[in-house]
Amino acid sequence: MTIVSGKADARRRLQSARSDVLRKMWEHRADYAYVLPAIAVMLIVIAYPIYYTIELSFFNTPPGLQLRDKIFVGFNNYTAILTSGVFWQVTFNTLIWTVASTFFSFVLGFAAALALHRDFVGRGVLRAILIIPWVISAVAASYIWKWIYHSDFGIIGAILVELGWAERPPNFIDSVSTVLPSLIVVNIWREFPFAMIMMTAGLQTVPEQLLRAAKVDGANAWQRFWHVTFPHLRNVSTVTILLLAVANFNSFIIPWIMTGGGPSNASHIWITHIYELAFGRQRWGVASAYSVLLFIILMTLGYFYVRALSGNERKDGSA
Amino acid sequence: MAHVVLKDLVKTYGSFKAVNDVSLTINDGEFVALVGPSGCGKTTTLNLVAGLTSVTSGDIVIGDRVVNDLDPKDRDIAMVFQNYALYPQKSVYMNLAFPLQMRKLPKDEIDKKVREAARVLDMTQLLERKPRELSGGQQQRVALGRALVRDPAVFLMDEPLSNLDAKLRVQMRSEIKRFHQDLKATIIYVTHDQLEAVTMADRMAVMNGGYLQQYDSPAQVFAHPANMFVASFVGSPAMSLIPLEASTANGGAVLTSAEGWSLELSQRNARKVERATTRKVVLGARHSTIKLHKSAVPGAIPAKAYTVEPTGDVTFVQAFLSGAIVNISVPPNVAVAPDEQIWLEFDQERMHLFDSETEMALEAS
Repeated sequence: MTIVSGKADARRRLQSARSDVLRKMWEHRADYAYVLPAIAVMLIVIAYPIYYTIELSFFNTPPGLQLRDKIFVGFNNYTAILTSGVFWQVTFNTLIWTVASTFFSFVLGFAAALALHRDFVGRGVLRAILIIPWVISAVAASYIWKWIYHSDFGIIGAILVELGWAERPPNFIDSVSTVLPSLIVVNIWREFPFAMIMMTAGLQTVPEQLLRAAKVDGANAWQRFWHVTFPHLRNVSTVTILLLAVANFNSFIIPWIMTGGGPSNASHIWITHIYELAFGRQRWGVASAYSVLLFIILMTLGYFYVRALSGNERKDGSA
Repeated sequence: MAHVVLKDLVKTYGSFKAVNDVSLTINDGEFVALVGPSGCGKTTTLNLVAGLTSVTSGDIVIGDRVVNDLDPKDRDIAMVFQNYALYPQKSVYMNLAFPLQMRKLPKDEIDKKVREAARVLDMTQLLERKPRELSGGQQQRVALGRALVRDPAVFLMDEPLSNLDAKLRVQMRSEIKRFHQDLKATIIYVTHDQLEAVTMADRMAVMNGGYLQQYDSPAQVFAHPANMFVASFVGSPAMSLIPLEASTANGGAVLTSAEGWSLELSQRNARKVERATTRKVVLGARHSTIKLHKSAVPGAIPAKAYTVEPTGDVTFVQAFLSGAIVNISVPPNVAVAPDEQIWLEFDQERMHLFDSETEMALEAS
C-alpha cells in the first residue's frame, strides 16, 4: 500500500514538475516570441553553414563539377591536408603571425597606455592620433602600406637608400624571407591602439589610495608599477591578449590585400589559404576540412577565454 | 617619535584655497585629531604632512627637519588609509613586509619585525591569508600593522574607521587608543566624526572651510567653543543656537526674542553682552544644560514640544524657540507629549553667547 502510494506520489510529483515547467514556459511565452526571430536568423546564417561546411569536408569537389554531384571521400580531405607540406607551412606562418602580432601589439599598446596615463599638455591629441590606425579602414591601410613597402616607389626603401643604409630599396613584400615580418609590422601598427585603449581603461581603475600607500611605504615609480599597477591589470591583460590572439588568428584583410599569400605561400595564413582554396580554386571540400580544423582550434581558444573570464569572476566573487 | 609643527600652512588648487594658514604644534607622543565636515581641508592637511600633496606655502617640521621638499618615504611617517589600501595580491605577511622590503632590510630582520607586529596586533594566525579573506576589522588591523612595522616618527591616519560598521568602529576605536597608549606614538588622526575625535584625541583641531577653528583638548573644545561653528559641530545632539536681541540697562542685560519673551542674564553673562559690538546675540545651550518644566516657573521660557525621542537612557525633546530648534534631554521617567506646553530654564553658568555677525564666542573679560 505504501509502495503504491509512494509510486503514485512520485508520478504525481513528476507530473506536477512537468506541468510546472510548462506553466513557467507558458508564463514566459512572450519572451520566447521575442527571441524567436533572432534564433531563426541564427539557424539560417550560422547553424546551417556550419553543418554544410562539415558535410562538404567529407566530399571531393573538382572544379567544373556541379556541387550537387560532389564525390564522397570520407576523411581523405583531412589526411591530404595533414600530410601536405603547405599545411605545415601555413600553420607555421599562422603561429608566427598570431604570436608576434599579439605580443608586440600588447607590449606597444601597454607602453602607450602607460605613457599617456599621466596628465600632460597635448595628451588628448596624442591619444586621438594614436587611435587613428585602428579606426581607419583596414583595406585602405593595406593599400597605403603596400605603397610604403613598394620596392621601386616605397618611401621606406627611398629613405634607406638616402641614408646610405642600403644600396637598393629592399624587397619587403616580394621576398620570401621578409614578407611575413613586414606584414606583421603592419598588423601591429593597426592593432596596438586596441591594446592601448583596453589598458588605459584598466589603468584608470587602479585605486589611487593603493599607489599612495605604496609611495608612503617607500616604493619608487618602478616598484609601484610592479607591486600595485601590474597585478591590478592582470585580468584586463588576459582579456586583451586573448581578444588580440583570436582576432589575429582570424586575420584576412592585411595579408590578402597586400600579398594574397605570396610569394610562394610565404605570407599565407589559415584564413587566406582557406579563402584561396575555396573561392580561388573551387576546392570546396578541402577548404571545408580546413575550416573545420580551424573551428576546432578557435573553439579551444574560446574555451580558455571563457574560463579565464569566469575564473576571475569566481576569485572576485569570494572577495 | 617626534613632534610635528605646521607653520602658516597654505594649499591652493587654482583659486580654491583648500588649507588656509593652518598653524599647529603636535607634541611628541600626542594624539591629535583633525576634525571637521567634508571638504574642510583636514585630509588635505594630512596629505601635506605625508608629502602626497605639495605645499603652496608655509612649513612642515617633523622632528627637527623641515620636510616640505622630502618624498613621503624620507619623512619617517606611516599612513593608515580609509579603505585600508592593502595590496590585494599579497598575503598579510607580505603586506606587512612590503615597507621593510622597500627599505632593503635583511630578510631575517624583516621576518622578526613582521612577526612582532603580528603578535602585538593579535593576527599571527592570519599571516598567510589574502586581504580579501579578512573581515573589515582584520583588514584595518593589518593596515595598522603595516604602519607599525615601520616604527615611524609619526602615524598619520585618514578616517581609518569610517568603513567599519558601527559596532566594530567602537571596538577599533578603543584598540587604536590602546595602541597609542602602549606605543606613546605621535598620531595625527583625520575624522569627520566628532565623537571619534572627542573620545580618542589628546587635542582636537576643528577645521572648517580650510581654516583652523579651534585647537584644544576635547574637554575645553566642548566646554568653551570658540565660535558658533565649533559649538554646533562638537557634541551630539548639536548645541541649540537661538538668535536673540540684547539690551542693557543699569548694569543688567536682557535677551529679548521676537516672540515676545525675554531672559534676564546673570552678571557674568551681562558683562559679555556689554563688551559685544553688536546687539544681535546668539544664545547657545547644550541639551543637558536646559531644564524642562511642565508648569510655569520664574525665569523659564514658554515653548511647545515638537518631537519626543526616547533613547532608553535619556529622552530627547525638541522644541521651537524664536525660530530655532532647541534640544533638551530629560530623564526617561518624565513624560512629555508632542505639542505639549513646556517651560525651559537655561543654566546661566553653562550657557554660551555668540556675536551673530562674527559668530565668535563673547568673552566676559
